[in-house]
Amino acid sequence: MKPDAPVVLKLTNVSRSFGKIRAVRSVSLEIRKGEVIGLTGENGAGKSTLLKILAGIERPDEGQMEINGKVANFKGPNDALKAGVGVVHQEQSLFTNLTVAENIEHQNINHQGLSRFGIHDWRRINREARKVLEKIGVDLDPRTRVGDLSFVDRQMVEIARAVSVNPDKSGTPLIILDEPTAVLEQAEVEVLEREIRKLREFASVIFVSHRLDEVLRICDRVVVMRHGELTSDRRTEGVTKDELFRAMVDETPAVATRSRAVPSKEGQAAIEVRDLTRHGRFRNVSFAVHPGEIVALVGTNGSGRGAIARALFGAETFDAGTIEVNGKAVSRWTIAKAVRAGLAYVPAERKVEGMIGGYPGTRNIALVHPEHARTGPFLRPRKMAQIAQEWFDRLGVSPNDIHQPLGQFSGGNQQKVVLAKWLNNPELKVLILDHPLRGLDIGVSQAVNREIRKACDKGTAVVLIPDTIEEALEMADEILVLKDGQVSARHDMRSAGELDVREIVSEMV
Amino acid sequence: MTHRADTPATVEALDRPDKVAATLARLRRMASWHIIAPPLVFFAILLVVGIANPAYLGPFGISIATTSAAPILLVALGQSMVLNTGSIDLSNAAIGLFGAILFALTIPEAGILAMIAVLVALTLIGAVNGVILAYTQVPSFALTLGTLGILQTAALVTSGSETIYVSENRDLVTALHTIKTLSVPLTFWIGVLAAIFFWALLRFTIVGQNMTAVGKNESGAILSAVPNRRAKIIAFAISGFASGLAGLAIVAQAGSASASGLGSNLLLPGIAAALVGGTSISGGQANPINVVFGALTVAFVPIAAQALGFGAQAQSLVYGVFIIVIVALTTSRSRGSVIK
Repeated sequence: MKPDAPVVLKLTNVSRSFGKIRAVRSVSLEIRKGEVIGLTGENGAGKSTLLKILAGIERPDEGQMEINGKVANFKGPNDALKAGVGVVHQEQSLFTNLTVAENIEHQNINHQGLSRFGIHDWRRINREARKVLEKIGVDLDPRTRVGDLSFVDRQMVEIARAVSVNPDKSGTPLIILDEPTAVLEQAEVEVLEREIRKLREFASVIFVSHRLDEVLRICDRVVVMRHGELTSDRRTEGVTKDELFRAMVDETPAVATRSRAVPSKEGQAAIEVRDLTRHGRFRNVSFAVHPGEIVALVGTNGSGRGAIARALFGAETFDAGTIEVNGKAVSRWTIAKAVRAGLAYVPAERKVEGMIGGYPGTRNIALVHPEHARTGPFLRPRKMAQIAQEWFDRLGVSPNDIHQPLGQFSGGNQQKVVLAKWLNNPELKVLILDHPLRGLDIGVSQAVNREIRKACDKGTAVVLIPDTIEEALEMADEILVLKDGQVSARHDMRSAGELDVREIVSEMV
Repeated sequence: MTHRADTPATVEALDRPDKVAATLARLRRMASWHIIAPPLVFFAILLVVGIANPAYLGPFGISIATTSAAPILLVALGQSMVLNTGSIDLSNAAIGLFGAILFALTIPEAGILAMIAVLVALTLIGAVNGVILAYTQVPSFALTLGTLGILQTAALVTSGSETIYVSENRDLVTALHTIKTLSVPLTFWIGVLAAIFFWALLRFTIVGQNMTAVGKNESGAILSAVPNRRAKIIAFAISGFASGLAGLAIVAQAGSASASGLGSNLLLPGIAAALVGGTSISGGQANPINVVFGALTVAFVPIAAQALGFGAQAQSLVYGVFIIVIVALTTSRSRGSVIK
């Protein structure tokens, strides 16, 4: 890359807010032709919002965006594509039942005479697709069905699709790779790295990743976001990981930790796993959670923490190892058995998995443990209403209407009800929480954390997958750091001295 | 319940205005469109027929309409229970017709005992549908299309492709048709009773709550430890049972049964009645009592067409247009834009 190369992307004071949350704050950034930029930051730092603005999915509230010297005012993703911005999404967005060529030329088919009166000119479509594949140096048959390809090959098709839409002759395409390596194996990462080197010959690349080693190896420049702002923008030469951590996390590592009841490590564990393994997800994971204890599983997306939580709850299978609940090893573990044994699971996907949106609070709460409001096979509506009302009052659910369908509540109030449905069980032994604070504001977060601690004080063991490391430091008695499906470090917070976020991040990546 | 001991007593007093608002909101929901639409549509059609040709609303007209509505109502009730769990049962009418033939074959020999035995057998056929669906995850549309074919063959074979007359104990079964209260035959009243029963099942039992939960959001239900397989099996068993009652209504009306005779055309009217009765085709929404009005509406549309002077050739056209308009009027749109 020459320093006087033309500017491909120029952001000037771009901001975007959602309600009170300022997701992107006055971001200014310049990317030149042939540059590979690493974009990193913690979850919730504003990376994805920034990407959405570039991809035309979100529109900035303020600021200006120029692409190839022209002011860009995207009204939708199609405008972004036409301007030459191609995004390769984390969760792939290809049509798996169509061919490679159809996927690559999807955006062009109606414009460039590849199809007349709705009838595809297959020879031309395949030829155009082959040209694109050659340009990015990928050897794939355009006629292959995308569903038959490996994950990394599909990623190549996504890249091909992203570059297939050329801006005008003189413009340079901007390719955004959103955490492309999160689910790749080592060998596949190398394929991707080679591909990025190829791309820079004619395009500019934004590479989003949590893995700092990769960012430093692949990119020319690295940009760090925190709380919606750019906190660092430096060339990668001479930058250390430590400097990047400092830009990623808050300067105040002394997080107020909870006053821990110092639950005893002796005695019967509420839940204990030994060498738990699921091929391709997690390996030889062992830990024990005693009554009243909070154990946090931290790691990046794809570190296996979510899969472990689901395996504990019987929602996913595991291949080897044991799970013991109250000292008894489980066999043929299912959700029904887990719930009977006193386990509870608050999933990360609240709307889809955590609740029945069409049902009101009364029924959502009665769904898991109907035994508190039943007479034989019959439900007792008055009792259901009474229980729901008590939980709505206690957790301050708003609006205080137990009969309104839960889908109509805000996320925070939904989460309170999801929590209530599990807490409504005096026999609760183990509470598994996957991102319990996701998308919640400070007030609701505190209410939820208060309830988690209360449950602990009553002797419930808690397995917590936090949104942020600060959350783990604040809540947990023990922190397990997971990296690529394995436990890479353990910290007992009762005996450990000062532990800071940076140390944990360095164990994650 | 130690968890709830610390609710302050003052909360209730403070919340009173909120409570009033909540009660009002609840009343509004009860009066929501998808609940009142099915009876409204039915009475509107009744009114139109009454104005155009009052003679149709006499005892004789009511008797004809409810007689033809009875088997439609019974299959539609089973269908709405299956639709409520997010599946569909295309085999229910075939179960009913197969049942009618079994009734006609066995009632002369064994009387009431035969009725019970056949109903049990048909319930089991429904349950088998449910078991296959729950454990093989063949989509219900494909699965029940298959069982539909199997049962049609079974009906042909058991009847020897002939009409089976109920030779003995004939009064036992035709009584269901001939005994009338308010000009309405007993078969229809059985349907009304079944509707009330299913309504109570969905509203007041754990099984019913689970079935609706599965229809509204299956993955959410699974992660709430709802036995989703059991819920589906029960829904299909209910469909088998209700179709059996429909078979009984057919035999009661005709005094005979055949694979191509009365009742061989119940599948689509049954689905139409469930939908007109406000059942959501994407699951999680069913009100069996409204299905009664749905079945009456579906049975009444041909009569209304006749009363309004449409020729015999236009009957299907009128029927088709009516169903589209009525379903458009009665569908609940609260679930957003997902349409199956």
